[in-house]
This record gives sequence, C-alpha cells and structure tokens, in this order.
Amino acid sequence: MHREPPPFFHRGPSPLARLTFFALLAIATMIADHRFGALEAVRLSLSVLVHPVQQLAGAPATALARVGEYFSSQDRLLRENEELKAKLLEFAAAAQQSKLLQAEQDHFLAMTPARSRFAADGLLAEILSHGRNPFVRKLVLDKGLTQGIKSGMPVIDDAGVVGQVTAVGTFTSEATLLTEKDQSVPVMLTRNGLRAIAVGSGKDGSIDVPFMPVSADIQNGDLFVTSGIDGTYPAGLVVARVTAVEKNAAYVFAKITAKPAAGVDNHRFVRILTATRPASPPPPTQADERRPVKERPPGKGRRQP
Amino acid sequence: MRPADLTPVARDVMRIPAGPGLIFASFVAAYLFNSLPWSGWALLARPDLVLVVIVFWAIHQPNSIGQGLAFALGLAMDVGDSMLLGQHALAYVIATYGAQVLRVRVLAFPILEQSLHVLGLLVGASIVVVLLNLVLGASLPGLAAAVSPVLAAIAWGPLTWILHLPALRRMRRERAA
Repeated sequence: MHREPPPFFHRGPSPLARLTFFALLAIATMIADHRFGALEAVRLSLSVLVHPVQQLAGAPATALARVGEYFSSQDRLLRENEELKAKLLEFAAAAQQSKLLQAEQDHFLAMTPARSRFAADGLLAEILSHGRNPFVRKLVLDKGLTQGIKSGMPVIDDAGVVGQVTAVGTFTSEATLLTEKDQSVPVMLTRNGLRAIAVGSGKDGSIDVPFMPVSADIQNGDLFVTSGIDGTYPAGLVVARVTAVEKNAAYVFAKITAKPAAGVDNHRFVRILTATRPASPPPPTQADERRPVKERPPGKGRRQP
Repeated sequence: MRPADLTPVARDVMRIPAGPGLIFASFVAAYLFNSLPWSGWALLARPDLVLVVIVFWAIHQPNSIGQGLAFALGLAMDVGDSMLLGQHALAYVIATYGAQVLRVRVLAFPILEQSLHVLGLLVGASIVVVLLNLVLGASLPGLAAAVSPVLAAIAWGPLTWILHLPALRRMRRERAA
C-alpha cells in the first residue's frame, strides 16, 4: 500500500529539482531578454521598485558631493569664469556667422523637400552614476519616460557625442557610451567627406574605424563627425579624432583608432537630443514605383494590351 | 558577549528561528549596500552582500528562504545593475543550491571554516556571472573581481554575529526569567 509521508515531513520538490527549474527559468529569462528584448516591461516595472532603494543608497555620496561643491574654492570659480568669458568671445563670432548660415540653410532647405538633419531640441540631464555593470560602459541619467526620453536618442556634451540612450526607465535612463563594444556610429571625415562607421572598442577612451581600405585617405588628427545618414544621430556632431592609422599591405583593411572627443568623466551634465530628425525623406521605393504608372499615357499601359 | 556563543558546542542560539522582520531588514540592508554608487575597480571588488545574506538564511533558516527568493533577488540585482536579466538570478540560485546541499556540513564547523565554505559558493557564483558575460562578448574583468568573493567571505563572521544578536538577546532574557 502506498503511503504519503506525513505532512510534517512534506517539503515539496527536492533541491536538485528546484535548481533545475530555476536554472532553466533563469536561462529562459536571459534568452528572452537578450534575443528578443521581450522583458523591457518587466525591467521597467522592477526598476520602479528598485529606484527608491538606489536613490537612498546614492544619497550619502550625492550629499557629500554637494557639500564639497559648496566649499569649492572661490579661486577655482573665478578662474573658470575667466575661461568661460574668453570662450564666449571666441564663440561670439562663430555664433553670429552660424546665424547667417542657418538662415541661408533654411532658405535652401525650404526649396527642397528634405528638411534639416541638424539637432534642434535637447534636454539637459544629470549623470547619476557610471552604471553599475562592470562589463559594459554605460551612464545612468536622471531623465526618463516621464520627460519623454526614448530609446535611441543621442547624448552629447559640449565637446561631442557621448553615446546613445539604450534603456529608459520611469525616471532614469541609461546611455551606452561610444566606447562600448559594438556600439557603432555612422561618421564622416571633415577633411574630405569620407564616410565610415565608428565602432566602440570596449576599451576606455578609444574607438575603432574598421573596414576602411588601406588606400583610404585618413591621417592622424583627422576629425570624424556624424554623417547623419542613419536617422539616429543628427549630422555634424563631433565624434572622435584619429589617433593612429596603421596601414599594412598584408591586410585588406587599415587599422584606424580614434579618441572620442566628448569627455565623459569630466562632467556632471550631458544633453539628450530629443528631436533629432523632424522628418526623414520618404522612402524612394514606393514613389518610384508609382510614378511611371501615373505618368504613363492612357492606352500605353501594361494593363491595356 | 562571549565569542564562544557561536561555536557548535553552544549552538542552541541558532535553533531559535529568526523573525520575518529581521530577515526582510537584512535583505534590504544588503541590497542598499550593493546599490551604493560603486564604480571602477571598487565595483568589481564589491562584496556581494545580498548573496551572502541569501546563503546565510538558506543555511540557518532553510524552511523560509530558498531558491525562489534567490531567483527574485537575482532579478532585482540585474535590474539595479542594468545587466542582462537572469544572470544574477542563475548565479544566486546555483549558490543557494550549494548552500542547501552543504547546510548540515557547514553548520558543523566553527565560523572560520564556515566562511571558507561560503567562499567556495561565492566564487562559484562569480564564475557563473563572468562566464555568462564572456559568452555575451564582454572581456575578462580585472583581478579586482577575484577580491569580491574574498571580502564577502570575510563578512560572513560579522554577519553571523549581527544576525544572531536578536536571538542571543531573546535567549538571555528567557534564561534570566
């Protein structure tokens, strides 16, 4: 006769069975998150729970920083003020010129269907932390869904592109730095308009420009700006300066290393570009297909043989 | 307080079950610790107190803390650290399983040997996380990552003492009464 163990000893599945179940569940979670990005909703709702705890944990450090800032010497502030004034003068001429150029550009663009690809709107965001994942390069910013931040928005500082918003929480968002492995930006060489794609190397302070032929005209010190052809980054933002060009005839491609222009470690604030590209020109395929049909004189179309 | 209170000989203090309040508070405190704004090498060397606390309760309170909670807290860590969901969950579940299997054996040892067992579990958990990230294309973390389990194992002794304080006090009170 089969006898159940008394309820006192009943403990449910064995530890090994539990381990198998939870390990499979964890692996399924990882696959769902990595392959399909299906768990954003879960992450978002969990982050609402976790956010206050993180705020609380970060509070002492923030308070210390605030106090430190308060007592920062007047000397430094004065010096900074001088420098900023000098910079202002330096930029004044350029700003006036840029107004003229902007007016001209508007004029020209009004005549063409394509509209400006340059950045207009942005949102100042404070860097909350440098991300707490030792395996990737990310920044946590203090603007999130409630401020209208969306995944994919470019993040810049005063010197150039910092990276791109890759995950958005309710009150915070995460920006992945340019230097993160496999993070890529379409770029253009300012000197000759050569287009390329800059890819993060996974090391601090360096990005690679792969797949450029050995014959490509790239020199040390060349400046890469965004080309704007991806629709994510507006055109003309400074990305990086070439630091090393290694051309070896044995390889098909040159090895090009560049240093990002933006100084991520130096600031507390960055700018998230919210309205980067008002409208992309309509995809040409449909229009091209339709036009001949419309313009075809009646009687000569394919439908009427 | 006599340090001998926690040796296997006088272990009756460990038989007093801890209240749910203490367990909850310990997890919140550990999570707060893990959420401090660590960065750079300090982040790599950060002792994972959440995992130590899970292992602690899995060993001392096996009927209330198990792999389910380990899984949930792992997910919470992944969200907090913005990692791929499930990495910490897997590592924590594996470490908790180890703790459940080794439970009786670990409890038979004094604190120092206990923390060596815990060190093994923690090293296993960090190896799981590092391997997963290697598969995902990250590069090997620096040597600082090896410091983290050691620091966490060192924390085992003080942690045992702190988390048994309420039980010790209650036992004293009962003896006095």
